[in-house]
Amino acid sequence: MNRPDRPERLEDDLRNALRRQQPPLGFEARLMARLAAEPQPPSVWARVWETASAWFQAPLFARAALAGALCLLVVCGVNYEHRQVQRVRGEAAKQQLLLALRVTGSSLREVQESLRQVSADYSNAQ
Amino acid sequence: MKLLVPLFVLAACTAQAQLLKIPPSFDQLAAKADEVADVSLGPDMLGMAAAFLSDKNPDEKAAKQAVGGVKGIFVRTYKFAHEGMYSEADVELLRAQLRAPGWNCIVNVRSQKTGENTQVCFFAQKGQPGGMAIVTAKPKELAVVTIAGPIDAQHLGALEGQFGIPRIERDSKPKKQDKQDHPDE
Repeated sequence: MNRPDRPERLEDDLRNALRRQQPPLGFEARLMARLAAEPQPPSVWARVWETASAWFQAPLFARAALAGALCLLVVCGVNYEHRQVQRVRGEAAKQQLLLALRVTGSSLREVQESLRQVSADYSNAQ
Repeated sequence: MKLLVPLFVLAACTAQAQLLKIPPSFDQLAAKADEVADVSLGPDMLGMAAAFLSDKNPDEKAAKQAVGGVKGIFVRTYKFAHEGMYSEADVELLRAQLRAPGWNCIVNVRSQKTGENTQVCFFAQKGQPGGMAIVTAKPKELAVVTIAGPIDAQHLGALEGQFGIPRIERDSKPKKQDKQDHPDE
């Protein structure tokens, strides 16, 4: 490994290494031409079209299996959503029912208390 | 038009289930009240609610048994900050319905001291129990409970001690309670 003998030598080496260099003649034009020549990545629609084409080219049983799986997924999803809605509605109805029974209970308890009071007053008057 | 027919049928069923017609003026009371509870459970919602009641919870189990034959529960309660927020005429519209044939008010409580006025009435049609109503009017509170459908002692008994419903002390000796049912007489 070459080690510089003197610090001045090191500086010269670094200056040479980091010196600005002009690109070769015609570099830019060649670069642009090469970029233009390279194939562009396909767009999203192109990929969708490719997938759709592949679907129609696939064997019938594969298409049927995939369609069945998709249908099953949709049915399960709809069923789950329906059950969730029913559960929320049922819980709300249950809370309403319990509230109604509490109000009923409270009203009946008050009636009983009133009757007890009337009874006590009646007994005292006797 | 075909779609409207089930709606009319549903509305008719709900109206039939609702024994007492709540006067339109009660809707205006909601704006004046501090607390409002409005529960309207028709046959379908009641069935759904009952399906979600647990057998493990004693309160819910009792409620499930009680609402077995019930067709609807309708509750309106209003709590006011001050007295005189509702008029006697509002309540009279309800009481007038309870004087109609089929209704039998077994308890009338009227207290001058507290200003409370409560009726507990049962509805029967052709000898068959059709429901009950409780109308409680206090100076700062108004409550209307209507339960449509057959309510018998067994149903109420299932709720005894639950939801604040008083536990009735049964005794072999007849108590001096006959006059309690009509204290204002």
